[in-house]
Amino acid sequence: MERSPGRPIRRSSIRRPLAALAAAGVAVLTLAACGGGSGGSGSGPTTITVWHGYTDVEAKAFTKLGQQWNAAHPDDQVKLVFDGGNDSALQKTIAGFTGGTYPDLAYEYGSSAATLARQPRLVDLTSKVKAASFDWNDFFPSERAASTVNGKVVGVPALVDNLSLVYNKALFAQAGLPAPTADWTWADFRSAAAKLTNPGTKTYGWAYVNDGSEDTVWRYLAMLWQAGGDLLTPDNSKPAFDSPAGLAALNQLRAMAVTDKSVYLDSGNDNYLNLFNSGKIAMLWTGPWDLSSIDSSVKYGVTLLPGYNGDHETISGPDLYVTFDNSKARTDVAWQFVSWLDSAPVHLQFAIDTGDLPVRQSETQSPDYPKFLAKYPGDKVFVQNLANVKHVRPNIPEYAQVSTAIGQMVQSVLIGQAQPQQALDSAKAAVTSALAGAQ
Amino acid sequence: VILPRAIRPRTRRSADQLAGWTLIGPSVVLIGLFGLVPVLWSLLMSFQHNDLQTPAQWAGLDNYRELAHDPVFVQSLRQTVVYTVLFVPITLVGSLLVAGALNRRIRGISLYRLAVFVPVITSTVATGLIFTWLLDPEFGLVNSGLNKLGLPSQGFFASPHEALYTVVAMTVWGWIGFGAMIYLAALQSVPTDLLEAAELDGCTKTGVFWRIQVPLLRPISGFLLVWLTINALQLFDEVYVTTKGGPLHASTVVVYYLYQQAFVYFHAGYAAAIALLLFVAIVLVTLVQMRLTRDGSDPAEAGGAR
Repeated sequence: MERSPGRPIRRSSIRRPLAALAAAGVAVLTLAACGGGSGGSGSGPTTITVWHGYTDVEAKAFTKLGQQWNAAHPDDQVKLVFDGGNDSALQKTIAGFTGGTYPDLAYEYGSSAATLARQPRLVDLTSKVKAASFDWNDFFPSERAASTVNGKVVGVPALVDNLSLVYNKALFAQAGLPAPTADWTWADFRSAAAKLTNPGTKTYGWAYVNDGSEDTVWRYLAMLWQAGGDLLTPDNSKPAFDSPAGLAALNQLRAMAVTDKSVYLDSGNDNYLNLFNSGKIAMLWTGPWDLSSIDSSVKYGVTLLPGYNGDHETISGPDLYVTFDNSKARTDVAWQFVSWLDSAPVHLQFAIDTGDLPVRQSETQSPDYPKFLAKYPGDKVFVQNLANVKHVRPNIPEYAQVSTAIGQMVQSVLIGQAQPQQALDSAKAAVTSALAGAQ
Repeated sequence: VILPRAIRPRTRRSADQLAGWTLIGPSVVLIGLFGLVPVLWSLLMSFQHNDLQTPAQWAGLDNYRELAHDPVFVQSLRQTVVYTVLFVPITLVGSLLVAGALNRRIRGISLYRLAVFVPVITSTVATGLIFTWLLDPEFGLVNSGLNKLGLPSQGFFASPHEALYTVVAMTVWGWIGFGAMIYLAALQSVPTDLLEAAELDGCTKTGVFWRIQVPLLRPISGFLLVWLTINALQLFDEVYVTTKGGPLHASTVVVYYLYQQAFVYFHAGYAAAIALLLFVAIVLVTLVQMRLTRDGSDPAEAGGAR
């Protein structure tokens, strides 16, 4: 449908103002205006602009790293710009390209990789990451896969996470149930969730984010992979989830949400976390980012996801730092800065400051690593669980449409609107047409 | 205000024109830049395959042709119509009744007026969040109230059968204050001698309201009708912060679908085609409404002139 991304294309001077106007149309003029870094050529320092969506502790730690870098590199300065949040980073970056003012380096969701891979100004990092000094293979395999689109490395890992089972110890004790273990089966999980559910007190065994977004999709994907299925065929050309595995995962969801009614269906307003805090939900499938929001009064445990035939695979959504070409000099500085950010000692410091998981395997061998575990005991299982990430979501531009179709499918089963097979069939049709290029 | 040409002496014309253009210049430039240019730009885009990143390709009428066969688009159209047909009349009548109730001299009336107007000045995002909490199917205040009355819990935003109507209810609540304030201002400008005359003739309070005041409000109702309809057809924020078009597309309205196509799937050409169709639809609906409301007889003119 679209031309393949080629060399950077210079827009003619006539088209530029019009392009800028279109950017104004999507109301990002303000951001574009503050995003412009000063030029690089000639005398004086080269300054690059880095867009990020970090808030709270992460913003503090990231700012600290920026200052540290700037103090040590008077000729290669970085300017950190908060872009309003990671949720809209892709939209803002793309508007920036249209307007002609875009960052040298930006934090982007891994799911944006395929869309950004088409961007002519994206810097192809394939050869750079191969440098021995960068040690690409030190990153977890799922991160490397998420960074790569059709063999091209489009960014380097900025964050890695995964889903594990977080449970409220007190609720298990009250129900007289043993705590979940790392060898739990789907059946164990289902029966525990049912026993923990009490309609009288409105207590639920499990919570599922049921807004049809990627949040709805990825928990299903973990189950699909555990059961031996996959989302698409290996060449990403056709759906593959219409399989016994895809059906088994939907059946499990239906059994719990519709038959047992042991699942709180969160509408996407993150109510599940408040309910977990007030002892109304016993188990969550969630990532390390939620741990800091759990009240200190709630004693919780973390273990692997329940498995299917002994397969406890989980899913990870690695995020990326992506580099864009403003000039050779600025690209070089961006690469140096991001290599430094992603070096084991610097990232481990960031992890200790924020509770983010290590992005490099060597960070876990560092003498400072015990400090991280001591500060974030809950993260231990999440780090171990990185070894259980075996698949990545397909890095294709149509993924957003595929995700919508899967989200609808899971949602229709959870609310009892469709039978699993029926939901599977309509999602298959939707994914087939999205992959065939329908809008 | 442009005066008829014949009145003005010829010599003064060019100077006046210069002054006129100078005065409206900034608005013309701003409206041109941020109104007209984007419209033309998206007209062009609607004939392209455009991902906002790589050079666009000419698509001819492909986007429009595909729209006709897109079930989600058709569904979003239907839902936008249902929304508008419910939202506009309910808000109009609701505003009128509230304005009637507020148009009296009692102690603390400004407090009541303020209370009615607060939803209008509250940000949509805040409103949306509060409603998702109130209407949470399991733990929301509204369902627990229903249960206390012996009524069953409702799904509200979480139910494909109720989501769209819940959005209607929420937006009516948000807009009634706006309509009521406009009506209230108009009611207060109804000449008191007319009201006194009616009372002398033995008309009841209710009679005065429905027979004298309401007919005089006709031009205001016309304005509100157009205004509310345009807003209803462009519904987006409330859907974005509450249901995200779900569950199962049940509350996907045209502008939400447009947003999804443009900024989630990056099908900018396709989204531009949707935008153009919506633009044409709004222009047509507005023209029809203005024609219908303008055809009113003299009393309407009298009320509007005050």
